[in-house]
Amino acid sequence: MLQRTVLALALMLGVTAAHAFGLDLEKLTNIISKTQDLKPVETQSEVDIGKGVAANLLGAAPLVKDEKLQAYVNRLGWWLVQHTERTDLVWHFGVLDTDSLNAFAAPGGYVFITRGLLLNMRNEAELAGVLAHEIAHVLQRHHLAAIQKNAQTGIIADLASMAVESSQYGAVADKAISASTELYARGLDKSDEYEADRMGVVIAARAGYDPYGLLAVLQTLDGMNSQDAGLALMFKTHPTPQSRLQLLDTVMSSKLDQLNQQKQVADRFVKVVGTYAGK
Amino acid sequence: MINLKSIQHYLLLILFGVSLSLGHVAQPQAAEVGRTLVAADLKQQPFIDAATVTNLPVNTELEVLKRQGGWMQVKSGAGEGWLKMTAVKLGTAAASQEKSGNGLSTLVNLATTGRSGSSGVTVTTGVRGLGQEDLKNAQPNPEAVKKMESFAAARNETAAFASSAKLQSQTVEYLSAPAATSASTGVGSAGNFGRGN
Repeated sequence: MLQRTVLALALMLGVTAAHAFGLDLEKLTNIISKTQDLKPVETQSEVDIGKGVAANLLGAAPLVKDEKLQAYVNRLGWWLVQHTERTDLVWHFGVLDTDSLNAFAAPGGYVFITRGLLLNMRNEAELAGVLAHEIAHVLQRHHLAAIQKNAQTGIIADLASMAVESSQYGAVADKAISASTELYARGLDKSDEYEADRMGVVIAARAGYDPYGLLAVLQTLDGMNSQDAGLALMFKTHPTPQSRLQLLDTVMSSKLDQLNQQKQVADRFVKVVGTYAGK
Repeated sequence: MINLKSIQHYLLLILFGVSLSLGHVAQPQAAEVGRTLVAADLKQQPFIDAATVTNLPVNTELEVLKRQGGWMQVKSGAGEGWLKMTAVKLGTAAASQEKSGNGLSTLVNLATTGRSGSSGVTVTTGVRGLGQEDLKNAQPNPEAVKKMESFAAARNETAAFASSAKLQSQTVEYLSAPAATSASTGVGSAGNFGRGN
């Protein structure tokens, strides 16, 4: 009974959206019922959306033109990925040429870090911590789930059926891409960020790194002037570094203490990133 | 005739030279500074049950010497020892209020020269930001995606990458969320530093 009311209401609201997007009502009913179930998105659709989102992000900030630096970050990224549950994806890592401090993940395995953040790190364990946090967003499909859940954005994209209905595929993918890109300006739920933090430290630890690298980065950010323009977007879209530090410390202190002696790898990091920075 | 600009250049060269030579002579002795965020026990070793050197009151200024796991080796007026990293706030009180006009100084610089970012050579050349508006107005760049995809050869190089830094895989379970207070309630928002040692 309640379900019917909800569906009817959703349909009423949906009519406007359907009109706007030029979809027919039957299809919409289908879409709404499926979206409510939050069915898993086909991996190929996920990668297609991710590719579109990556194109948008790269339109906002270009890649750093330094093949050695990019190769280094990709090797590290792939090493981390070996310690996760999604080794089937083809992962791509990129350093963005912007002085703002931030990192992003797009569905399907596209991971970005800005040069501004990279240049404010001390060692590879810190970089591993940040990349692993972003990898965790992809593992958990946080962006996909957010656009599927977020009905009021008008995203009625039936992501689950995208792979089979080729006629609508392009249009649906475009809407998913634009909604997903918008998420980078607005941010994910705090709980998604905290989850990516908890998973990120573990992935870095599995790969042999000091699991406190991510915390060291958060502490660096915490020590900076929060009014600085280079921090604006990240501070707007993430919980405060201090709250992330406190929560990580709470869950890590008993569980990961025995990994206190793992590697920070400062020499290789300083060699590669320092060479890039000195150019 | 010597103009102002050439003097500036000359001074810069001297400064650059000094900072590089300092970096060479002194082992990268971190000149990172901070202060205690809470009153905290300064430990002899980076372990919770290590002997206590002394108790540092809140806002004790200190120099960071080294990091290890969740611990920081610090030097303060009251002596040297180890603090939980979460008991430390980096930077000076003045610096955190300062508005840096032309980009943030960099830590890589600190690592390569052994000097603090504010006094070392700043590699930042100018501010090229990435803000909300840049994201909204971005025109897709599929060529750049192709470029990024060309880096994927790295997937075959992970073994060499790991072994050259002696990185060894570990078995570690994922951590579950803290039980009582859910993360979404914003536990420990800025200003709430309830957890001391």
